Amino acid sequence: MTGLDRLAWRSLWARPLRTTLSVIGIALGVAVLFAALATNAGIEAGIGRTVDDVMGRSDLRVGAFEEHGLSQASLVAIRATPGVAVAAPLLEQRTYLQRDPLATSAASADAYLAPVAVIALDPAIDGAVGGIHEVRLAAGLGLPSGRDAEALVPAAFAHDLGLELGGSVTLLGVNGPVSFKVVGLLAGKGPDPTTGERTIIVPLAASAALFGPRGVSWVDVTLAGSYTVDGVAAALDQRLTFEPYVLSDRADLAATLQASTAGFQAMTALIAAVTLFGGAFLIFNTLSMTLSERVREIGLLRAAGASRRQIQRLVFCQALVLGVAGSILGLLLGFGLSILIAGTVGSLGEGVPIDGPVVPLPGVVLAAVIGLLVTFAAALEPAIQAGRISPIEALRPPVAGRSSIASQMRWLVAVVVTVGVAGLALWPIGLGPAGSGADPGATIARPLLVYAVLLGVTLLTPLILGPLGRLAGLPFALFLPAETRLSRGSLARDRKRTALTVGALTIGLAMIVALGSLAGNARAATEAWLTDVIPGDLVATSIRPISADEGVAQQLAAVGGVARVSPIARFAVAFRGVRLDAAAVSGSDLATDGRLTFVAGERRAALTALDAGGSTIVPRAIADEFGLQVGDTLQFPVGGGEAVAERIVGIVARGMPGQSGEAVLLGWPDATGRFGVLGADAFAIRFAPNRATDAGPTLAATARGLALEPTPLAGIEGAISDAFGRVFGLFDALALLAVVIAGLGIVNTLTMNVYERVREIGILRAVGLSRRQVWRMVVVEAGIMGVVGAFLGCLAGVVLGFALGGVAGLGWASGAPTIPWLTIGLAAAFGIGIAMLAAFQPARIASRISIVRAVQFE
Amino acid sequence: MSIAGPILEARDLTKRYALGQTTVDALRGVSLTVQPGEFVALMGASGSGKSTLLHLLGGLDRPTSGEVILGGETISDLDDDAATRLRRDRTGFVFQFFNLIPLLDASENIGLPFTIAGQDPRRGEAADRIRDVLGLVDLAGKERHRPDQLSAGEQQRVAIARALVNRPDIVLADEPTGNLDFTTGGEILEALWRSCAQRGQTIVLVTHDAKAAAYADRVEVVQDGVIRDEIVLGRRSDHAASPLIARLAQLGL
Ligand SMILES: Nc1ncnc2c1ncn2[C@@H]1O[C@H](COP(=O)(O)OP(=O)(O)OP(=O)(O)O)[C@@H](O)[C@H]1O
Ligand SMILES: [Mg+2]
Repeated sequence: MTGLDRLAWRSLWARPLRTTLSVIGIALGVAVLFAALATNAGIEAGIGRTVDDVMGRSDLRVGAFEEHGLSQASLVAIRATPGVAVAAPLLEQRTYLQRDPLATSAASADAYLAPVAVIALDPAIDGAVGGIHEVRLAAGLGLPSGRDAEALVPAAFAHDLGLELGGSVTLLGVNGPVSFKVVGLLAGKGPDPTTGERTIIVPLAASAALFGPRGVSWVDVTLAGSYTVDGVAAALDQRLTFEPYVLSDRADLAATLQASTAGFQAMTALIAAVTLFGGAFLIFNTLSMTLSERVREIGLLRAAGASRRQIQRLVFCQALVLGVAGSILGLLLGFGLSILIAGTVGSLGEGVPIDGPVVPLPGVVLAAVIGLLVTFAAALEPAIQAGRISPIEALRPPVAGRSSIASQMRWLVAVVVTVGVAGLALWPIGLGPAGSGADPGATIARPLLVYAVLLGVTLLTPLILGPLGRLAGLPFALFLPAETRLSRGSLARDRKRTALTVGALTIGLAMIVALGSLAGNARAATEAWLTDVIPGDLVATSIRPISADEGVAQQLAAVGGVARVSPIARFAVAFRGVRLDAAAVSGSDLATDGRLTFVAGERRAALTALDAGGSTIVPRAIADEFGLQVGDTLQFPVGGGEAVAERIVGIVARGMPGQSGEAVLLGWPDATGRFGVLGADAFAIRFAPNRATDAGPTLAATARGLALEPTPLAGIEGAISDAFGRVFGLFDALALLAVVIAGLGIVNTLTMNVYERVREIGILRAVGLSRRQVWRMVVVEAGIMGVVGAFLGCLAGVVLGFALGGVAGLGWASGAPTIPWLTIGLAAAFGIGIAMLAAFQPARIASRISIVRAVQFE
Repeated sequence: MSIAGPILEARDLTKRYALGQTTVDALRGVSLTVQPGEFVALMGASGSGKSTLLHLLGGLDRPTSGEVILGGETISDLDDDAATRLRRDRTGFVFQFFNLIPLLDASENIGLPFTIAGQDPRRGEAADRIRDVLGLVDLAGKERHRPDQLSAGEQQRVAIARALVNRPDIVLADEPTGNLDFTTGGEILEALWRSCAQRGQTIVLVTHDAKAAAYADRVEVVQDGVIRDEIVLGRRSDHAASPLIARLAQLGL
């Protein structure tokens, strides 16, 4: 350490408050960045684990499209395909668990516990150690015989049920209850993580007694020797002609899971970048303030023979100290934060697979490197300015606002570009090797857009600061005219500093408002969507298909006050090699109920054609994706080399909600006759006008008696909104951190303003300004910054909200953007509050300035 | 305020500063009276306690003991609010350095007492008064100049105008010519003198320059925290310094 470096250290030390604030600023930025990386890495790991759980050791999965499943012939054909080493058939079916073996009446709903998933596998191939799907046992022996009515139950589930090893479970089968002896307890969940803990594993041979003769849900295949996935897939395509199927490999599955989390990951990345940006503001402000304070001192050093380079080194040295301290603190904070985030995300349910944050080594390095880079980028301009200070400056009285606004903005652009480029270049590394599946273009477009908007606003800030500040001062001037005049003056003194401080606040608030607007849109769109397409006030769902001849719809319709019961089935179809969601609906019910918004095709004719068969109605999103038009004929392969042709008779604004998007609509005759749909899995129930309240309870009881779960439409919306709420709550919390950083920036700036003005404040006090007035002057100063920041932030937030629209991947809908007034109000109040709170300490310092000392010495 | 009797009276003022373990007795018992309309100069060597005394007289600081009476009212034990009002309405200060707010132009700086009181200095009586004092300190035409566009002498005259603008009971000036050349210093002293001669403004001026002190009616010589001597010069429009210098020489100063 040379003498000058020690000076750098000491000057940081001399202003502990400011130094601490900048370190915290960087630390928060790095923390959010790191937490985002760790969360995303956790999600990637979760995806990897999910793929392992789902696929086991297999390389390819042949999945059934139809509820009949894949036939024995298909299984034989798969096994005979060259390159297939092992083919493990699996059947998954939902049914009810019956606790009391003596209660045999299906109608007494109380005899049933909640639904369970049954997975049937071949114990000769699967289940044991070394099988394709390995089942870890906590107790018991597994399924030795493979034929007997024996079952494996997750230990936790068994505990809930009060089941012991050797006890029995009774499941509702097609021909009545069937009992299974519990021969083993599973250590974790079953082989399909999506079914959760309520899974029971039985031998495939014994499953016929439960579900009757039917095909398997999928066949998982491992490859022999040197065969490739693509080669075997092509060979399978040649041989499998018995029924429709879909082939997927591990990468496909990972890609699907990734797509569902891409939006979430992009969002966390974005917020992290914005937070870091805020941290950069803080550092820049600190360094340039320290600089302007020490112009004379630096002038003296120059006069004493210090070179430009030495002076620049001094500034960089300070930046290095701040950057290193901030990055280390940030990594620690970030780790804590990532645990919190992982907890929140994990509690969201199936949406985002995550077990816990994963600390990716590249992520640690990336966060630290970006933290340092940003610090250095922020130090660049102050260092150049410092180098330009001439020895004569030591003799001149200090002049306020040395560097021009243009040079400030040059700096700003430099920092944004640095952060942006570093982020874009290094982001994939941070995710680790797994993070390759998602489409990078889509992930990057959004942050770029947001960056552009935020940069635009910050560049505009100094230009409109004057008039806006005057406007913002008006309410304060009403009560405190003198203080407001003086505050405005001091804000105008160093416009670039004020602009940067306000800029940081603007950015944080813009994020909050944009998120609020997105969440609001998503909620409103969901609500509008469901109301638009579902012909009912509530939906009664079943976990097994209910065929029309069971008379369930009639029983529901018989309840007094019910106007209409419309059966709905959701299934999947293959189209141009991808899986599409499809829904079987009754066209006449939709017509009478007035559902669906047609963007093409004639409404009445289309819905009539739907019921007649051979016709389909396609949601606009799907039509756009595949370039479909009314009159086109779609070919859906259904196996045996055959395909079902469906003519498009209408395009609607929104289709039925499907598993992973919107569903194409098909009439019931086609669904059962051509696609093998066995029955309805939901009934939309519409009450007669004004009968919802009195008919509701009777209907609910009837539905439960029929093993249906009634959910009001509002309940479905509520559940979706809840999920939104938690996701956005998380984002909001991160965005709040950005505002807190901005708050620290305001403390910094105000303190600086106060220290710079010790003499001025002394003069003002000598001329007759009271302590309280000085205090209020500083608070009003902050208030004006808060108002300006809140105004610009809310404005930018609304613009961003409109620009971002729906966030892809989380599966939420986009709709006409609305202005989130409540969020705007709260964000504005929060921003102004934080700003004025930030003024507290600086105001105290200012009000305690001694007149005598301030005016005494030069 | 009573017409008869002194406008300002200091009684046995002491001021002790604590400096870590030790203490500094900046004033050790100063008594002083100033009559309305009088121009009094405080002279003395550096560190003798002139500034300290001036701060106490204007209510900028509180004495360790003794009292200051301005216009019949004791001001040495006022609380902060009262002292603030006193400064705003009844005293005017001129310091050696940094008298002006760099951001505000000349007339805005002069109007500060009005601004602070919540009045608009661009309107009404406030505006008239500002125009009036601008003329008095000979700065008409420079009201829109900011401090960095004014010479050092002009800056000090702006400060004097501000001290005068609210027609205070007393103007207290601490070496207003301290770091200026002779001619510039002369302009400032002329401005002070005019306010005294034409408006009857009471002035207390701290200086260690005999030529400046020669503008005063009376010179108090401060030494080691006490008033050692008083030299009465009387009102003279020629401001000749020689009688004062002769008297100081007699006193061995
Ligand atoms: N805040 C303080 N703390 C400690 N000592 C002080 C303080 N202010 C002044 N003094 C001391 O009090 C004494 C008188 O100081 P004062 O500033 O009144 O002198 P002065 O006559 O105005 O000198 P000058 O001509 O240099 O301005 C000096 O010894 C000074 O060191
Ligand atoms: Mg002095």
